[in-house]
Amino acid sequence: MRALRWAVVGSYLFLAMLPLAWMALTSIKDREDTISQNARFVPAPVESTSPDSVAYPATLDAYRTLNEVFIGARHSFWHHLGNSVIIGVLSTLASVLLGTACAYGFSRFRIAGAKDWLFFILSTRFMPPLAVVVPVLLMYRRFDLQGTHVGLILLYTAFNLSLAVWLMKGFIDEIPRAFEEAALVDGYSRLDAFRRIIVPQAATGMAVTAVFCLISAWNEYGFAMTLNSSSAVTVPAYFAGLQGNIEGMPWPQVAAGALLFVAPIVLFTVLVRRHLLRGITFGTIKQ
Amino acid sequence: MNGPPMGARWLKLGFVGPTLVFLIAFNVFPLAYNVVLGFTNAELVGGGREGVGGANYGRVFSDAQFADALRLTALFVFLAVTSELLIGFGVALALQRRFRGKGAVLTALLVPMMLSPAVMGLYWNLILNGNYGVLNQVLDAVGLAQPQWTTDKNLKLLSVLMIDVWMWTPFMLLIALAGLNSIPQSIYEAAEIDRAGRWTVFRRITLPMTAPLLVLAALFRTTDALKQFDLVMAVTGPNDAATQTLSTLLYQVVFRDGRVGLGSAYACLVLVVVIAIATVFTRYLDILQRRAVA
Repeated sequence: MRALRWAVVGSYLFLAMLPLAWMALTSIKDREDTISQNARFVPAPVESTSPDSVAYPATLDAYRTLNEVFIGARHSFWHHLGNSVIIGVLSTLASVLLGTACAYGFSRFRIAGAKDWLFFILSTRFMPPLAVVVPVLLMYRRFDLQGTHVGLILLYTAFNLSLAVWLMKGFIDEIPRAFEEAALVDGYSRLDAFRRIIVPQAATGMAVTAVFCLISAWNEYGFAMTLNSSSAVTVPAYFAGLQGNIEGMPWPQVAAGALLFVAPIVLFTVLVRRHLLRGITFGTIKQ
Repeated sequence: MNGPPMGARWLKLGFVGPTLVFLIAFNVFPLAYNVVLGFTNAELVGGGREGVGGANYGRVFSDAQFADALRLTALFVFLAVTSELLIGFGVALALQRRFRGKGAVLTALLVPMMLSPAVMGLYWNLILNGNYGVLNQVLDAVGLAQPQWTTDKNLKLLSVLMIDVWMWTPFMLLIALAGLNSIPQSIYEAAEIDRAGRWTVFRRITLPMTAPLLVLAALFRTTDALKQFDLVMAVTGPNDAATQTLSTLLYQVVFRDGRVGLGSAYACLVLVVVIAIATVFTRYLDILQRRAVA
């Protein structure tokens, strides 16, 4: 039984990690080595290896050439990474601020039909982006928001509000009401109590919520691709756009860029590991 | 628990209002607008549009494409959710005991679900490539056949499915572990005193006590898998009969063919399906929360 356990966990761990490990190996190859007919999986600090060897010469060229504009794109990887950062960070800030205020409202006030509202907010998350994108596109054309950073920031803010409200509601519900009630008795206004009592108490929850909002904005593809053709394209849409590249994909650079792109997400996953369950289930399952 | 009313009406509105305005502008309005567009001949290029009555819906129902995409999406959702649930639950059972470094192993296992499907899906093309992909090189080394994963029309859906399982099994794993951890040790001890066999314990205690969370997890994944778009786009593009899901069909009709009116009619029908599943999900969640399981 014990051996079976180890075999299951070990083989699953291997399979789960394999694509990322292969990505790391690919990012330090020459393009020829990425599409070689025999597997090359041992990086070696040499100039060249024989064609049938499993070893290949390791190089950082892919990382150095990420500033090039590849066929099928109009800007370099760095430009698009910048877009991802701007759009991700600003929409996350907005979602967390609005979501925290809204969650506080639902947590502390008597609101008619509160449960229905909350389920409505949750259900907005189930909409497939492709089913709502046309009206948004027409609306954005009217207001000149198509292909702009602001357009995507607004959209991602709305898209992440369901997550932010539900997660923050869970965190705020856990803060004892006695804290604010004491503050209100001391003459704090409701807004002061929120700012000086709730926000500091909920800081961890807000940080966790921010991580999950950032990840979902960072990874989003459907809206990013359909609402954009130029300047505000984020990394997922940029990479996907390279697929039409007739000279073949620049695999080492794709691997290098993808690795840089997912590295912060891996770091954040480690940071919020204790809250992962909450995050992925919108706070509906707590532990 | 809602306490007594503590503030003025505008104060409540100040806290809750901005979020609701956002959601109405970006969700309720597009939904309503979709309904209107579905009855017109609007196109992606050019502003003019005229009402065409129910012509779009007539086309949708007479055209096999929508039915095919619906069937394929249902098949995909079923296969993806079932395999992820079974593998996730199996690995969770294996991970139940404490051991050194469990936290680190678990975190590593969970990483794939946090990554970008579009980026990882694109990269999986290199792994799955029939001629130089590492998967076939491994299969070659152990003497197995090396199929053309991403170009053989019988295997394309399987390829998308494999990537989806790689990404989303961790989701099931995490929730299954939470379910397993919530079973009080005392119940297992009582079963041991009663000399219950391993299989009986699993069938009578472990399975029924984790089932509510597993169902919730499956519903969660269903709502998500129903939207499948990113991986299909990465592996085959939007217009491949072997993999065309509802979302990629919508993309094809609106953005490649430019037929906004027809696409909106499709979108309305997709939304009916989504709302039906979402309702099942929220009802079930409500029941669980009342029973304080979740």
